[in-house]
Amino acid sequence: MPSLKELSKKEELISRGHRLCPGCGAGIIVRQVLLATDVPVVAGCATGCLEVATTIYPYTAWKIPWIHSAFENVAATISGVETAYRALKKKGKIDKDIRFIAFGGDGGTYDIGIQSLSGAIERGHRMLYICYDNEAYMNTGIQRSSASPMGCHTTTTPPGKAIPQGKSENRKDLTQIIAAHHIPYVAQACPAFHMDLIRKVQKALSVDGPSFINILSPCPRGWRYPANKTIEIAKLAVLTGFWPLYEVENGKYRITYKPRKRRPLREFLEAQGRFKHLLREENKQFLERLEREVEEREREIFAKAGEQI
Amino acid sequence: MKKLLLSGNEALAEGAVRAGCRCYFGYPITPQSEIPAYMAKRLRQVGGVFLQAESEIAAINMVYGAAATGMRAMTSSSGPGISLKQEGLSYLAGAQLPALVVNVMRGGPGLGNIAPSQSDYFQATKGGGHGDYHLIVLAPFSVQEMADFPHLAFDLADKYRNPVMILADAILGQMMEAVELKNNEKNRLIEKPWAVTGARGRPQNIIRSLFLKEGELEAHNKLLQKKYRIMKKNEVRYQLTGDPDPEVLLVAYGSMARVCMYIMPRLKKIGVRTSLIRPITLWPFPYDIIEDISKKVKFIFVLEMSEGQMLEDVKLASREKCPVYFYGRMGGGVPEPEEVLTKIEEVLKVESKRKNYKIRR
Repeated sequence: MPSLKELSKKEELISRGHRLCPGCGAGIIVRQVLLATDVPVVAGCATGCLEVATTIYPYTAWKIPWIHSAFENVAATISGVETAYRALKKKGKIDKDIRFIAFGGDGGTYDIGIQSLSGAIERGHRMLYICYDNEAYMNTGIQRSSASPMGCHTTTTPPGKAIPQGKSENRKDLTQIIAAHHIPYVAQACPAFHMDLIRKVQKALSVDGPSFINILSPCPRGWRYPANKTIEIAKLAVLTGFWPLYEVENGKYRITYKPRKRRPLREFLEAQGRFKHLLREENKQFLERLEREVEEREREIFAKAGEQI
Repeated sequence: MKKLLLSGNEALAEGAVRAGCRCYFGYPITPQSEIPAYMAKRLRQVGGVFLQAESEIAAINMVYGAAATGMRAMTSSSGPGISLKQEGLSYLAGAQLPALVVNVMRGGPGLGNIAPSQSDYFQATKGGGHGDYHLIVLAPFSVQEMADFPHLAFDLADKYRNPVMILADAILGQMMEAVELKNNEKNRLIEKPWAVTGARGRPQNIIRSLFLKEGELEAHNKLLQKKYRIMKKNEVRYQLTGDPDPEVLLVAYGSMARVCMYIMPRLKKIGVRTSLIRPITLWPFPYDIIEDISKKVKFIFVLEMSEGQMLEDVKLASREKCPVYFYGRMGGGVPEPEEVLTKIEEVLKVESKRKNYKIRR
């Protein structure tokens, strides 16, 4: 595991000058993920902010081979690439050790892409799937996804008189769904804990089989906060138990960061505009529902790791 | 009546609500995401259902389910999303279910871009899915028509028990114009005795597109074709404007018709008598009127934001009675009036050199 000082000297595989928004979580995540690699990598991207903003024709921010085909199928596309690589290797036409990483947002992973992701990891391709989860369809203008937490504002779940809470449904626990495929490595990470994230990527790339890391990606536009607060808010997500950091290695759960003292969820919500309505007195019951939901999920994960909150 | 300043997408959504649409199933994609966002707020006020699906495939099949119960149901998308919906569209057509599908076209193929385009014409009019079927395809050219066409679309869909597509483009979806919203509240929804609404006290209704018995599917297809023939006979719509005795005929639909309308006075100034046919139904296509006029004009000029898709239908219609010229741009390129004018002037030059050609002044 290289130190932060060593990492800072490493060549970055994604260049500056891409057109992601200031403070975008996805850009920070991709930098951290690619810093963790030390063999040649091929990346695939699902349609989304990351794909659009880093590859505006005729430019590309990627210094590595990169492929995109559609919204719902980055896992299928990268499995095709990986299969070709294996065939070529078998024939002796490639001798290099190459790794394959797929990047998808929550829309392209939780919703429309889950079929191809599930298929790819069940087939057992040696690939790492990174979901940068910004909890809504940000590229098309902040529509809800199944990763949007209950109680948040999106343009397709506007809070109003009839539905004061905004989004009514709890978010899908995708990390757990992927863990249920019993693949060698599944983890949840956060860009505010960069060494933890990098270590997880290295672990994921070292296993001989499919791996998956779900990474929370704060979005200044969609979450409604100033662009310089991304890391702060990402950190709050972990400290409040909203986004527990853990890994599942060959079925074994481990909490990789345990906050010394669990901060109240309110602190995380207050920092963002998308929960503004939820903090009003009359919506207390919904706030409590969200708090209960977050705590229950966290407790569940901790129990699997044999720990307590 | 009071006029409102609305974007095309909002106008279409409001128009659909006023046409009695109570079920909307959507999925985000630029440049139509304002439609689901509008419906999310609006449908609840009228006791309707807005549902954001997990994919375009899910959305079109939700439409299938809602339409089967007799509700006025719709979905909307753009290029890549409409491609995903093709299977569902084929099933809707096969099961004879009325529904509205809106395509706010963007540049393709593949992910393309989010700029305006008319390159989904073939997909919309020639049957993008499998099987011998047709959609009725309506092409609005203004925000006002974006607001009006959902009503027409639902009426046609219910009348023929057939899915109807509104084929707009990113210009029409995003631009804002003053709109007069017609109040269709008294809108008479027709009886749907075929709908599955609970079979108590009546024989059960079955909605399906699967016919396995010998000859059954062929008979079903013949029934569909008979329906399409009636549509072709009764539902052709177009707008004919310009000089009553033209020497040049322009053919364009949607936002490209606006470019034509803009340059027609300029052509008149230089002494060229032009008229424009703007197909409103792209399927059924106004073959007859184009054939009629092609006998009288020196040439036809087709303008599209594609490499000539409707052009093929215009050529078919003209039956080689006159030359058909074309100008189009692709991938988000929007023809400017000046460049179209230059192209037409070039054609005029070429045509005037032909022996039998005289511009009557």
